[in-house]
Amino acid sequence: MIGQILLLSGLLLFSILAVLAKDLIKSAISLALASLILGIIFFLMGAPYAGVFEISVVAGLITVLFMLTIALTKAGGDVRESKISTLVFPVFFILVGLIDIFVMKGLLPKLQILQSGAETGTFAEVLWKQRTFDLVGQLAVILAGVFAVLALFRKKDNHD
Amino acid sequence: MIENWFLILGFSAALLAVGLYALLTMRNVIKLFIGFEVISKGVSLALVGTGFARSHVLLAQSLVITFIVVEVSIVATALALIINIVRKTNSLDVRKLTKLRG
Amino acid sequence: MIFLYIGLPLLVAAILPLVGKISKRFLPDLLANGVFLTLFVLALTSGRRLIGSGPVLQHFRWMGEDTGIALAVDGLSLFMLMAIALITLCVGLYSINYMEHYGSKSVYYALLLMMMTGMNGLVLAADLFQVYLFLEVAAVASYALVAYGLEYEELEASFKYLMLSVVASAAILIAIAIIFGMTGGVGFAAVAEGLRALDSRAAVGFCSALFLFGFGLKAALVPFHAWLPDAHPSAPAPISAILSGLLIKVSGVYALTRIFFNVFGLTPALSEVLMWTGMVSIVVAAFLAVGQPDMKRMLAYSSISQVGYIVLGIGLGTPLGIAGGLFHLFNHAVAKGLLFLNSGAVQQATGTRELDQMGGLAKRMPLTAGTSLVGALSITGVPPLAGFWSKLLIIIALVQARQGTLAVLAVLASVVTLWYYLILQRKAFFGKLEERWKNVKEAPFWMSLATVILALISIGVGIFFAATIRSWIQPASDALSQGVQAALSIGGF
Repeated sequence: MIGQILLLSGLLLFSILAVLAKDLIKSAISLALASLILGIIFFLMGAPYAGVFEISVVAGLITVLFMLTIALTKAGGDVRESKISTLVFPVFFILVGLIDIFVMKGLLPKLQILQSGAETGTFAEVLWKQRTFDLVGQLAVILAGVFAVLALFRKKDNHD
Repeated sequence: MIENWFLILGFSAALLAVGLYALLTMRNVIKLFIGFEVISKGVSLALVGTGFARSHVLLAQSLVITFIVVEVSIVATALALIINIVRKTNSLDVRKLTKLRG
Repeated sequence: MIFLYIGLPLLVAAILPLVGKISKRFLPDLLANGVFLTLFVLALTSGRRLIGSGPVLQHFRWMGEDTGIALAVDGLSLFMLMAIALITLCVGLYSINYMEHYGSKSVYYALLLMMMTGMNGLVLAADLFQVYLFLEVAAVASYALVAYGLEYEELEASFKYLMLSVVASAAILIAIAIIFGMTGGVGFAAVAEGLRALDSRAAVGFCSALFLFGFGLKAALVPFHAWLPDAHPSAPAPISAILSGLLIKVSGVYALTRIFFNVFGLTPALSEVLMWTGMVSIVVAAFLAVGQPDMKRMLAYSSISQVGYIVLGIGLGTPLGIAGGLFHLFNHAVAKGLLFLNSGAVQQATGTRELDQMGGLAKRMPLTAGTSLVGALSITGVPPLAGFWSKLLIIIALVQARQGTLAVLAVLASVVTLWYYLILQRKAFFGKLEERWKNVKEAPFWMSLATVILALISIGVGIFFAATIRSWIQPASDALSQGVQAALSIGGF
């Protein structure tokens, strides 16, 4: 329990750092660390596949894409974030945190949960047999993304 | 198990709030993308956490994996847009993107 | 073979870039429009037999083996599939001419096919998460298509659209997570059953609010509409047509109503919220449309307003109201698609979207002007065009349900609608022909063909409204009216 809270707090901390950091590279690294922690959390929750995906895809692939973009947009120059947004953040966060805790504590007795049987089958079975349509959707969204990138980076011969 | 669920949902909500804050206040378009990433972490945490609290981890895992795939597609598209925008305006400042009124 | 609706566009989209290397224009045109036509004919002819005796759950068998993909079709899904196929076909035909100069036609058609895959998948899904998944498929395709011209305005509009959409997606997913937590499942049947067994009104209310925000943003309901007046005008005309005509309705209105009616069950509170949200959209957007100098922006605000009518009708919850709302969904898809396609023709001919700079174009572009008039009058609700009947149904339903205030407001808003459409028609097409437009030509063949088809449908459906309602709208409306029963009868996966 304590370990879980520590990890969750670490996740939250690095996410906040990623948002508030002035240097984009530090932001990227912070985000990757947050993903790493989330992956570990997934492992500990008994979701190893999700953990692997989170670490390899989000901490890995997306960080790489992120770095690529930073490199390609150096021409954009530095954008100074307003001092106010960094200063206001703690206030915002404490406010949100209080509301959060209050709501969650308040909901605790009220929410009803349907008890249901344990899950059957292995992960592979669930993914490939039960959620097959999801896989079609995954293929579709990957194709859509590929075509989107192709369209947005195409060489234009002539355009009216 | 329920207390666990609410703890996880609480952190998930906090992540969502942080991400939303980034989307609302940051001026650098790449920071906006970070906001989206943080929101996605909040959502993934909520999904797996819910599965964990209910001992339905297998279903939750499949959902999160699919969601991560969607996330990658969106990230790729968003970054492609950002690169194109920088090519056109030579700036990463979202305040420059005000030619259109809602 | 219901899976064809998803599998065919997906497959063709996957091979199109390769095909595009061989033949830049002809083969992509042919293949893409071939797919659209096939699916439209399929929906029109074979669908009805399939659902003749109630909703159907079809398992997709690959080489004799059960793949675990089970798709559910009922009157509502079939109706949506038909509408999607029809509008996408006309947009595809139109694009044969219009997208000539944008480059990479094969990638464009691939994206269009992916959007269709996404929309069809959303309509056929019987699972909350899959609704979200295919919504994103269509959305990713739409982000790229809105920015397709790669001009500054389009990029900015697409980026803002993307950023707002991801917040909507997050809301939807959180609601799904909560429902998953409460019921242990995400399929329609499992969730419907689970929610009935629990006393969960507060939680369902909270999730409903999240869904209303998420799907409402996709449908551009006020106050979540801010992205549409920038995105729809900036996109290339055929994309504006498919976005306004289909995407906001499929990923917004359809998803919302399917979940609210068949999974949650429509409560009086929910009905009130839907109706008033619809009414606010109708009125606010109608007034915002009046002062717009840009033709496509005016059409964009009109879309927001008309979606309000659809939500108002369906939100009422009575069979007549639902029928009116769904009928208006179809009529608006046809008419708004038509109007946006024509705006593209005008933009191509004159190079501008500013209404004040146009004038008297009817003399040089009679077909465009004529079909525009049909579309405008249909949306405004002038008999005997299709839009008249759908609006009438909604108003009658409101009166029957003793919602007098809403009925009166709906009628008054119609007058405002008539007003701004008359402004549009007068400024663009009628009046004196400006000097500089003396030599503009009518739109090329495929563009005109697409708009004429849509205009004829508006007229035809208007004349044969009874038959249309009986064979298409009624089954769709019944599917929603059955409420939670429909989801429970399909059974779990």
